[in-house]
Amino acid sequence: MNTGGPPQIEGTRQQSRQSRTWALRTRWRILPRDGGAAPLDVVIGVMAFLAALALGGVMIADRMAMSWQGGLTGQLTVQVLPQDGTVPPDQVTAALALLRSTDGVVSAAPLSDEENLELVAPWLGSDASLLDLPFPTLIEVELAPGANVDVAALDTALRAAAPNSVLDDHRRWLERLRSTANTVVLGAAGVLMLIGAATVATVAFATRAGLAAHRDIVELLHLMGAQDRFIARAFERHHLIGTALAASVGAAMAMGVFLAAGGLEEIGVASVAFLPPLGLRLEELPWLLTVPAAAAIIAWGTARFSVLSALRERY
Amino acid sequence: MVRFENVGMRYGAGPEILRDITFTLDPGSFTFLTGPSGAGKSTLLKLVFLAEKPSRGLISLFDHDLAVLKRIDLPALRRRIGVVFQEFRLLDHLSAFDNVALPLRLAGRYEADYAKDIEELLAWVGLGQRMHNKPPTLSGGEQQRVAIARAVVAKPDLLLADEPTGNVDPEIGARLIRLFVELNRFGTTVMIATHDRVLIESTPGRELRLVDGHLVEMLGGPPQ
Repeated sequence: MNTGGPPQIEGTRQQSRQSRTWALRTRWRILPRDGGAAPLDVVIGVMAFLAALALGGVMIADRMAMSWQGGLTGQLTVQVLPQDGTVPPDQVTAALALLRSTDGVVSAAPLSDEENLELVAPWLGSDASLLDLPFPTLIEVELAPGANVDVAALDTALRAAAPNSVLDDHRRWLERLRSTANTVVLGAAGVLMLIGAATVATVAFATRAGLAAHRDIVELLHLMGAQDRFIARAFERHHLIGTALAASVGAAMAMGVFLAAGGLEEIGVASVAFLPPLGLRLEELPWLLTVPAAAAIIAWGTARFSVLSALRERY
Repeated sequence: MVRFENVGMRYGAGPEILRDITFTLDPGSFTFLTGPSGAGKSTLLKLVFLAEKPSRGLISLFDHDLAVLKRIDLPALRRRIGVVFQEFRLLDHLSAFDNVALPLRLAGRYEADYAKDIEELLAWVGLGQRMHNKPPTLSGGEQQRVAIARAVVAKPDLLLADEPTGNVDPEIGARLIRLFVELNRFGTTVMIATHDRVLIESTPGRELRLVDGHLVEMLGGPPQ
């Protein structure tokens, strides 16, 4: 023990080797690392995982809706119906000539017998013969992208040139598809919002619980003359980093799930028929990082608001 | 330095703990605050270090009337005060060194500037070998010495101590009081709340005694 006089606290400063060691030391933390907060970090991680899954689900549903619509827009189908059991070849020729001369039409071609058989195979079997059936000739018409074809005028002209023809612009089917797709996207967005709200509440609760646990530190710093902003900054940084780490783990797990789903489809484990692939593309995965980013911002804002509110209530 | 005029204090709707407290602490003075347990010594100290607002009366600190001072100006006043809390209030996750460094950190000082001062101070209070220990691994007396080192390290204008020698042996207690006296000699105003008659009688200073919420000057005439 030093037995001399009391130290001159602000006397001459000669840096000892130990002082330099202190100087090089990592900046210490005013708030503890919180081993006891691990369960809350797990909850934040799980909620971030679910939110990232929901966000990925919305992206897949949106892509599905776009692919459904994109597959049918830009196309027309013309049926030339049979008369007395056979399709009049002159009407098919007239219809094809009219379609090919119409502005905005890129191509118009009748489906082959094989293609027709593929269409009816789900109902009649693959060994059905079209010769036994009064099967119409189907003409597939491809429109130029963005072409503004007057479907009603084309229908009238077709009926004049080939009275047995029927024009189908897929409008009814498209509208039903669009409605279904929108419902799917809205449903997924609703789930995302619910999970997002739960995540917000969880992060805010965890942050407030952390603040309550450190109330004594807030009090001490306040009494020692720390500015409110200094105390708030310590808590903001603490909760921002903790939440970002926990939520990043959850988002990374969700990325793993989507990558695994994509990988399974790659090796031949097909997704459900008529549904799009359930994996996310590589370029879509970074969007999932918005989940930990949003969680970190929520934690930052909650910590700042809570600390400043608590301090404002103090003298 | 510190001036109380007819200060009264009550918590909520409870009884008045302090009544008509009037006194001044002159710059560079050394004062003991005594009185039985529950007399309100800690409450009076809390009023001085700006932890509580009085229910009535006027308090002036460093020539600032607290009634008209804005809240944003209070931290600067608090940084001029060193406090030894009765319950120490050390941060358990920080070492003794870092606990002592806290006031200097809050004042914006860099560790390279103050590290040697803290090492010397901790050596002086007998903790030179334990400066890297965290409070839970220190005894009550050692924690108290860390708390005292933290209170004096920034060489405050006003030092308040609540029972600062309550947990240490007489030899260490005398050494700590020497530290306070030395600080006082260099201009720090000191006010110590204590029951320790030996300490009071062996140290030159004025004694203010709290009895039933009223303040009585024991030495050197009536309260100013």
